[in-house]
Amino acid sequence: MVKQGVVPDELTKPHFDAANEGRLEMQNCSACNRLQNPPMPTCSQCKSADNLEWKVMSGKGKIYNYGVVYDCPVRLLQEDQPFNLVVITLDDDPGIQMYSHLPGTPVDDVPVGAAVEVIFEETANGQKVPEWRVVA
Amino acid sequence: MAILISFDIDGTLEVGDPPGVLTMELVRKTQKSGILVGSCSDRPISGQRAIWEKHGIAYDFAVSKHQLPDVKAKFEADVYYHIGDREDLDRQYALAAGFEFFWPDEAVSEPWLNRDADPK
Amino acid sequence: MTTENAPVSMYRTTEGMGVWEHKGKVAAVGIGHSPTTRRWDGTAENTMGANSIFALRQAIEDAGVNPADIDGLVLDPVTTTGAHWPEGQDIPMDVVNAYNQTDDPLDGIAKLSAEWILKNMPELTNVKFTMYGMGCMSHAIVVAAQAVGEGRTHTCLVLKSWHNLEGRYNQAGISATDTVPGTFAVSPGRTLWGAPGSYGTALQFAEYCRKYGKSHDMMAPFMANSRRNGLMFPEGYWAQHRPEQLTAEDYVNARWIAKPANLFDNDIPIMVSGAYLFTTAERAKDMKQKPVYILNHASSRGSQRSILPTLDEVEKETAETGRKIYEGAGITPADLSFENMYDGFALFHQFHLEGLRFRGMQNGDALDFYQTDISIEGPNPVLPSGGNIGSGRSRFWMHTDCIQQIQGRAGARAITGVKPEIGVSGGPMPMGGNFTVWSATPD
Repeated sequence: MVKQGVVPDELTKPHFDAANEGRLEMQNCSACNRLQNPPMPTCSQCKSADNLEWKVMSGKGKIYNYGVVYDCPVRLLQEDQPFNLVVITLDDDPGIQMYSHLPGTPVDDVPVGAAVEVIFEETANGQKVPEWRVVA
Repeated sequence: MAILISFDIDGTLEVGDPPGVLTMELVRKTQKSGILVGSCSDRPISGQRAIWEKHGIAYDFAVSKHQLPDVKAKFEADVYYHIGDREDLDRQYALAAGFEFFWPDEAVSEPWLNRDADPK
Repeated sequence: MTTENAPVSMYRTTEGMGVWEHKGKVAAVGIGHSPTTRRWDGTAENTMGANSIFALRQAIEDAGVNPADIDGLVLDPVTTTGAHWPEGQDIPMDVVNAYNQTDDPLDGIAKLSAEWILKNMPELTNVKFTMYGMGCMSHAIVVAAQAVGEGRTHTCLVLKSWHNLEGRYNQAGISATDTVPGTFAVSPGRTLWGAPGSYGTALQFAEYCRKYGKSHDMMAPFMANSRRNGLMFPEGYWAQHRPEQLTAEDYVNARWIAKPANLFDNDIPIMVSGAYLFTTAERAKDMKQKPVYILNHASSRGSQRSILPTLDEVEKETAETGRKIYEGAGITPADLSFENMYDGFALFHQFHLEGLRFRGMQNGDALDFYQTDISIEGPNPVLPSGGNIGSGRSRFWMHTDCIQQIQGRAGARAITGVKPEIGVSGGPMPMGGNFTVWSATPD
């Protein structure tokens, strides 16, 4: 299952550079000690851009919820439908969510609440993105 | 040879929105020749039935797009065709269900769709 | 004339603001709708701009006012959520030139400015106030209500228009490219991971079902009720083009889009325009139609912590919205005759309903409530308009129905189980939206 290629922009470059190197990094406001995803130009709590940094995550999470996509708007993914589309929460901060196709898990057989670990997959242009798989 | 034909409606049959190239008369003749016919559409099933009944066609099934496997399981035929106008819906679902797929303008000239009304 | 977006100060977004200072002082006095179509046919006669003019003129005539008396216009300049003009596609200049143009050739085709309207409605000779209520009719309504209340305009048109083009919603543009920018890849909503529009709502619904022990099939009576009501809405798409009921069998057999959201949980995009005329309660006293007073408007500006709202966040936000709605109107849930909250994805209507504490329901009660009599003939009419599910994507059937029910002009759709005196409408989403309380009396 190959996703559209990703062209990192200024806001997201640190996240995607880290992905290429096998690290999960999320945006953090050091003043608020608060992670945020998606990354924003300012901290969504204090509204300042002055204290934004990137922090390495543990790479551990839990399956929070999921749906099964049967009719996908993205052309590149249509040949793979139906597929799982899962929301993961990070163990580092359960308020932080990430999407995942949960590679290796059968369609519509997603264990909500299960532990997951991050992996990194190449997209269509070689840029890696974080993905997640169920911890055996 | 036993044949089953599944018709998408919108973009395929003349009564669809947008209208397709396949006329209800063609479908009626096909059904009268002994071929199993029905619809596989995003239209509500009750609405599909109403279309067939309005045009006096004794349909064998009316299902949603994802239910072609049920049609195949229920009706024994030597070949199963689905005719539709959408790559992501008609063609994908048809092939996944083991149907042969035809675009409407391909199907319109196929011999199995142009049989005489009275089979010999 | 330069038209600005409504400033933040015009929205009532927090609890503790007390009763709306203009409660009962603004009234809806005219309604207009264009015919509906599925898509634009490419002709000048049937552009979204043409529909807009049609709806505005109908609202003016319905109100029985002289167009020269109209001094305000509030609209949403964005006329789609998923049918964007393809990049590089030629714009039909014969269509553009059939109207008085603005600087943007897509104006009147795939977007809409106040300037375009005023250039093409010469009868509006006295419009001095224009403002954008960005998002949908719910936004435009609260902006217009506030503007009339503040005296910025006295007799104000409110407009929402939709265009729709060839092709499937949201499948052009960035959905069809080989690469996407990084910010898009990690954004909420439509992303690299291919979430359809209804995905977020589907997940909230899935969590709701797990938490409260409910199932998707329990939505069937609500869906049938909505379509039934929609078929009694002659201005709506299904009534005009395909008057067929949606049965429980139809609903539970529909294919999934983003399980647990199926095909019919998603509304059908259409082309249509809707317009209202608002004025002061004083002016409305002796007009052609019975005035429908606005008791309050309230806005939700809650946002999720991360990429998708959780069920907890939705329930907290909708409850707060409900409290703001009642506080500003000076009423309680027991005062509501009916509700017409948004249903663009059918699976979130219950969050609005529970947030309203409609008929005393609490979180987790709505799907059970759907199994009772929710018809227009019963004591607990749910979505008497039929909403988007009943009549196609307009985001304004709910508002029209509120006005028509209270005026006694809902026709076959008239609520008979209760006296329709106070209704509420609004949306779109449980997180973020604008809501209006309508009343037969100003207090």
